[in-house]
Amino acid sequence: MSTTAPAAVYWDPYRPDFWMDPYPTFRRLREEAPLYRNEQYDFYAVSRFADVEAAFNDRETFSSSRGDILEYIKADMDIPSGMFIWEDPPAHSVHRGVLTRVFTPRRMNELEQRIRAFCVRCLDPLVGAGRFDFVADFGAEMPMRVIGMLLGIPEEDQVGIREKVDAALRTEAGKPLEVSQASYKGAGFEEYIDWRAKHPSDDLMTELLQTEFQDETGARRKLTRQEVLIFVNLLAGAGNETTTRLIGWTGKVLGDHPDQRAELVKNPALIPNAVEELLRYEPPGPAVARYVTRDVELHGRTVPKGSAMLMLVASANRDERRYENGERFDVHRQGPPHISFGRGVHACLGSALARVEGRVAIDELLKRFPSWTVDFDNAKLSSTSTVRGWDNLPAFIGDGLARAARARAPQSAAPAQSAAAAQDGEAWELALSTPVGQQNLSARIVRNGATFTGTMTGEMGVQDITGKIAGNKLSWTLSLTKPMAIKLSFDATVEGDAMSGKVRFGMFGGGALSGKRI
Amino acid sequence: MAMITYVEFDGRERVLDIAAGSSVMQGAVNNNVRGIIAECGGSCSCATCHVYVDEAWMGRLANKTEPENALLDAVCAPRPNSRLACQIEVSEALDGLIVRIPAKQV
Repeated sequence: MSTTAPAAVYWDPYRPDFWMDPYPTFRRLREEAPLYRNEQYDFYAVSRFADVEAAFNDRETFSSSRGDILEYIKADMDIPSGMFIWEDPPAHSVHRGVLTRVFTPRRMNELEQRIRAFCVRCLDPLVGAGRFDFVADFGAEMPMRVIGMLLGIPEEDQVGIREKVDAALRTEAGKPLEVSQASYKGAGFEEYIDWRAKHPSDDLMTELLQTEFQDETGARRKLTRQEVLIFVNLLAGAGNETTTRLIGWTGKVLGDHPDQRAELVKNPALIPNAVEELLRYEPPGPAVARYVTRDVELHGRTVPKGSAMLMLVASANRDERRYENGERFDVHRQGPPHISFGRGVHACLGSALARVEGRVAIDELLKRFPSWTVDFDNAKLSSTSTVRGWDNLPAFIGDGLARAARARAPQSAAPAQSAAAAQDGEAWELALSTPVGQQNLSARIVRNGATFTGTMTGEMGVQDITGKIAGNKLSWTLSLTKPMAIKLSFDATVEGDAMSGKVRFGMFGGGALSGKRI
Repeated sequence: MAMITYVEFDGRERVLDIAAGSSVMQGAVNNNVRGIIAECGGSCSCATCHVYVDEAWMGRLANKTEPENALLDAVCAPRPNSRLACQIEVSEALDGLIVRIPAKQV
């Protein structure tokens, strides 16, 4: 593992071009720099299976207490009680224990028929269309419905609450669903939790509200409202985004391997194994971070206490030391299990659900669409700090391919919102309370009936926004790529020259928003 | 050391020498016995190292803990001789133990 100076391997998680195909670099990391150090972003990384697995299992040295995302570890923020993925035992054991019984393999398998029904509801309308988007039409839709059902978000009635929750969960006709908009709408959950506390049912939300447990101090108690809210937000986020990516990767990888796809069509009994292989080959969460609590020796060097360590799951999954022909996709693979759900006390709580969803999704998909061709010209891959996958993965099905040739004419990009238009309109100064302190932004908006366009300006530079207007309420989202990829959702009420409301930071909770007209 | 027989779901037998102090799950994972996932690495929280212990051995294992019982309640196809392999600690006394691995963990 000597490193030749002129071409020392370089890797960082912030380069989109790198994420297009990270595997050649991962291979080099495994061979040339099994303990990789990135000075610029100040982190270490391990890439071999054995090292990744050992780090997962050594939770005392590699702690989750500062988060499992590089940027959060560096920010050293306070973690609210109940954010169990970012806790160490004993608090972690207690909080996770409350949920463990809910997410067991059998309980998840009992959901199969209902999951199937959601798949059918998504896929049936697409038959005959000639073209569909694996993510927008299916991957973003089904997991959201499933987790919504599990949590107990009602499908009908319960007028007031249902309208709010459902508005957050509904996609506009003809438009791709915004997963984050659907899953992170804290306000809907808050009101729903309060309503559910008074109207218990047989759903997870009720179970969370009623469960008594022994907390880390030994006291028997129920979860606090804030803990329930964190659980629900966490589950809604985790239950959506990851499985959405798995379905996107299914479209991509099976599209790249039509022979194996044909085998699955012929022999659906192979599908459960194919799900495992897809998870190994393209894990939706390719890297996980930990905080290093003490000096630790790795590959002859000392990783100092206080460092951030990245575990490259996607690399470990293809490590030839463990997987024969690790770079080869093979639905028949019978080798050792992948590590995409992690290992140890933080191993993915929802893995059983993900597996059932994956299995049923592929089954129902292949029944209707035994072959497709991915339209890469219009596909979009993105990598956030937590997941990597397709935001859009359109594909041509059946004779859609023939139509494709004609349709190949470049579709114009999304209608440009000219920054110039935002020179006029209203100007606002906004203050956000965030997990890492107050942030100040300015915004300009130009109203146009029930919508508006504009810009937001802050540390991230200037970014275009579009939003909705309902009476004196404005709502919009802002996607940041720095310091981390995250989507901010704003809900604000305008009273004269003042604005007040809430902002959600992806799955990481929310904060207050205030603003004044300038 | 103890010789432990793992019977994979298709009947294939693996007879392996497992170190005392390790677990039946760890022995399986280290030797790539098929059908044991063991996602949580032995922290008794995922129920993916489910095995059927040979009846002759049922009375000779340490009792199940409350968390194990709760998870066993939730595995696919539980039987009276179901155990989580991560909760069976290997000792000389288990020399000759036979465990059968279910067709599916999840």
